Amino acid sequence: MAEITYTEEDKQKVLEKLDQKTWKIKDLAKVLRMNKKVVQKIVMDLIEEGKAAYWSSGSTTYYATPRYIEEYERRRAEG
Amino acid sequence: MSETPLLDQIPDGPWPSFVKEIKKTAEMQDKAVAEGKEIKMPGSARALLKQIEISYKDKKTHWKHGGIVSVVGYGGGVIGRYSDLEDIVPEVHHFHTIRVNMPTGWFYSTKALRQLMDVWEKWGSGITNFHGSTGDIILLGTRSEYLQPCFEDMMKLDPPFDIGGSGSDLRTPSACMGPALCEFACYDTLQVCYDITMEYQNELHRPMWPYKFKFKFSGCPNDCVAAKARADCAVIGTWKDEIQIDQDAVKEYAEWMDIEEEVVKLCPTGAISYDAEKKEIKIDNSNCVRCMHCINKMPKALKPGKERGATVLIGAKAPFVEGAIIGWVAVPFIPADELFDRLCEMAEKIWEWWDDIGKFRERVGELIWRRGIGEFLNVIGQEADVRMIKHPRTNPFMFFKEEELVQSEVVKKLKEKGIKWRSFEYEEEEI
Amino acid sequence: MQQQEKPPWWKTDFGPPYFKDLMHPVLKKNYGKWAYHEVIRPGVIKRVAESGDVVYVVRFGTPRLISIYTIRELCDIADKYCDGYLRWTSRHNVEFILTDESKIDDLIKEVEEKVGFPCGGTWDTPRGKYGLTNIIHTQGWIHCHTPAIDASGIVKAIMDELYEYFVDMKLPGLCRISLACCANMCGAVHASDISIVGIHRTPPLVDDDAVRRMCELPSTAAACPTAAIKVKAKEKTLEVDGEKCMYCGNCYTMCPGMPLFDPENDGAAILCAGKVSDARHPPELSKVVVPWVPNEPPRWPTLVEKVKSIFMAWANNAKKHERMVEFIERIGWERFFDLAGLEFSWHLIDDFRVPPFMYASYRVGTQFRW
Repeated sequence: MAEITYTEEDKQKVLEKLDQKTWKIKDLAKVLRMNKKVVQKIVMDLIEEGKAAYWSSGSTTYYATPRYIEEYERRRAEG
Repeated sequence: MSETPLLDQIPDGPWPSFVKEIKKTAEMQDKAVAEGKEIKMPGSARALLKQIEISYKDKKTHWKHGGIVSVVGYGGGVIGRYSDLEDIVPEVHHFHTIRVNMPTGWFYSTKALRQLMDVWEKWGSGITNFHGSTGDIILLGTRSEYLQPCFEDMMKLDPPFDIGGSGSDLRTPSACMGPALCEFACYDTLQVCYDITMEYQNELHRPMWPYKFKFKFSGCPNDCVAAKARADCAVIGTWKDEIQIDQDAVKEYAEWMDIEEEVVKLCPTGAISYDAEKKEIKIDNSNCVRCMHCINKMPKALKPGKERGATVLIGAKAPFVEGAIIGWVAVPFIPADELFDRLCEMAEKIWEWWDDIGKFRERVGELIWRRGIGEFLNVIGQEADVRMIKHPRTNPFMFFKEEELVQSEVVKKLKEKGIKWRSFEYEEEEI
Repeated sequence: MQQQEKPPWWKTDFGPPYFKDLMHPVLKKNYGKWAYHEVIRPGVIKRVAESGDVVYVVRFGTPRLISIYTIRELCDIADKYCDGYLRWTSRHNVEFILTDESKIDDLIKEVEEKVGFPCGGTWDTPRGKYGLTNIIHTQGWIHCHTPAIDASGIVKAIMDELYEYFVDMKLPGLCRISLACCANMCGAVHASDISIVGIHRTPPLVDDDAVRRMCELPSTAAACPTAAIKVKAKEKTLEVDGEKCMYCGNCYTMCPGMPLFDPENDGAAILCAGKVSDARHPPELSKVVVPWVPNEPPRWPTLVEKVKSIFMAWANNAKKHERMVEFIERIGWERFFDLAGLEFSWHLIDDFRVPPFMYASYRVGTQFRW
């Protein structure tokens, strides 16, 4: 498989979106008009760097920034 | 008066009681605290009991889902829960589950088990499930901030315990006890399951697919892990050659067993005959469907053949959304010694295809329905086989490939005039 | 955590312990070389290896939910009798592997007295004497957020009622009972002889305030498998089309502001006549025979009675080795409803979108001729 590459600018765009809500890769790609595989790679790299994190419905998985997830979970826990 | 009058009625009767287990945990947890042990979730077992009593009164759950995963580097294996009764039971306000990848086949040494229990006594509620439905060890109930240190303590054990799958990832694969204890095993379920688990650690820990994917491994068609009903990829041991017969052992069974009535007559294809005088059985192997009935009946006398391997059934899943499915035949036979390599090759092709065009929350089985079995067989590079079907199709609505069509002069001329027989491109609608 | 911060013991992706390291030496020695087995009494399976080695696998039922303190007790017993090894089965039973036949009685006594787990759950196919094994089940009110019923409490009530069949081997055939506390079926119970499935019967209610506080509107709407949820952007809340809703609870997972619980309407459906083994009859899905029974904690008398009457209709009338589906195919569904004392109603006629037509012609087992 060919190495997937992207620009720092693309990465920033993804990061900005991830700070707004939890995302599925496919929707992120659609909204940003980017290739799904590229977005997937960016998200995985961001997770590796600690700048993105997982949010899980138990059966399926979403992605957002750790800041957003922490805040979102606090709201959910406190009801 | 008891705080849990409804739950107090539960230990009635001879079957072991989960309430007794929770009460025992509560008492022992208090004792451990009194002894000065480091217990991070004191009072949690008692609080759990209180919450369940309220559920028994209200006839509804009091848990809310939490999406937290919170273990560095991993995206699965933790199921978040918050109580909606936080004022009444603050001790279980956060009550997350950790799924721990069980040793394949659920074999334990007490040394390994005790260490894991010590970790859970410290960081969690002290309550477990042995095991969850997928097969993981379930550590039931801890707070968000303890997930990471609990996992770190697990990785320091000898042997260390790793976290299992959840979310859109490869779920913890499971296998029957196979060759460790059973003479029916047609391949090494434990080794293949372990090897697949190790090969795809990244897929297990870092969810990135449209939905979950499950592997389950059974050594024979008896299917003790119910793979056929619930694994996207069920690997079921079978054989191709003749059932091995030990006629001396048949004679032993003949002493007390009605072989004609219970073996011959129950063979689904009438492939067995019994000579009552010689006390010998004969099997028409060309008509045998390898269902296991006669082997189950006479394990000492009959054994699966020597040409062993496995059938791969694809697509099993629970009812939502399109209804429950039992996996159907994708590959009729893979020889045992090729199994691991062939499964890896096949799984990777399926995952790439599914990841590319699968819809959110669409299991592989549903994707195959949507796109057609023809495309699926192309994806995995599998030839069609009559063993995939009960009977051929009953309608003539078939699509032929371009290369299967005959070059026609008439159509060629029309096309040259610019007349198209296929005038628009069909595009899949995205949801 | 960054690379340089990680301590020397840090690791990820190391997977489960290697099973052979946690396996009794006699199993390692005879790995793949077992000759045959026989059930010498309920709960005790004698396994003989080609080498002549013999082990006695002694099986006990558990409630699945187990205290770490109970596990330590099980470990003490395994240390005393089994050189420090034990295993669990795929149906929540725990097994001790003995090499000394003379220790069987003491082991059983110790487990039953100290831990309270009963010995049983086995079947002797050669002799056609079958025991009932444990019920596989899900979390219910103990830990699930979308259950329509409890799990452990119902399992306890059923197993108390059917206890004599677990500790003995007096059934005509195999009977697998399973329970899932909602139709998402974490337990995948849809191919069992008898299955109990929690069902919701009313759509979720939208608590507008809670939705605004806790939820992402588009993610919640998108999680609905039947597209029954709409975002009301102006009001910043959601709307559910009750006609389209299948009561799966996905929306409640995404948004705690949409509880779908209705204590008087949530309950259980009972299914039967499914199987996964290929023995004689190929695998088969279970069919709904009781559309709904109410939640009646703590002992669920109606549910237990229905399950028992299905179970007894089979147990009393099936031929040797016949499983539920084989039995019903022989006698016919009309006779089965009579024998089990069940009422047939319009709910039991399938009007849901059925699996694609093509699937009906696919083989689902491994019954092949070569």
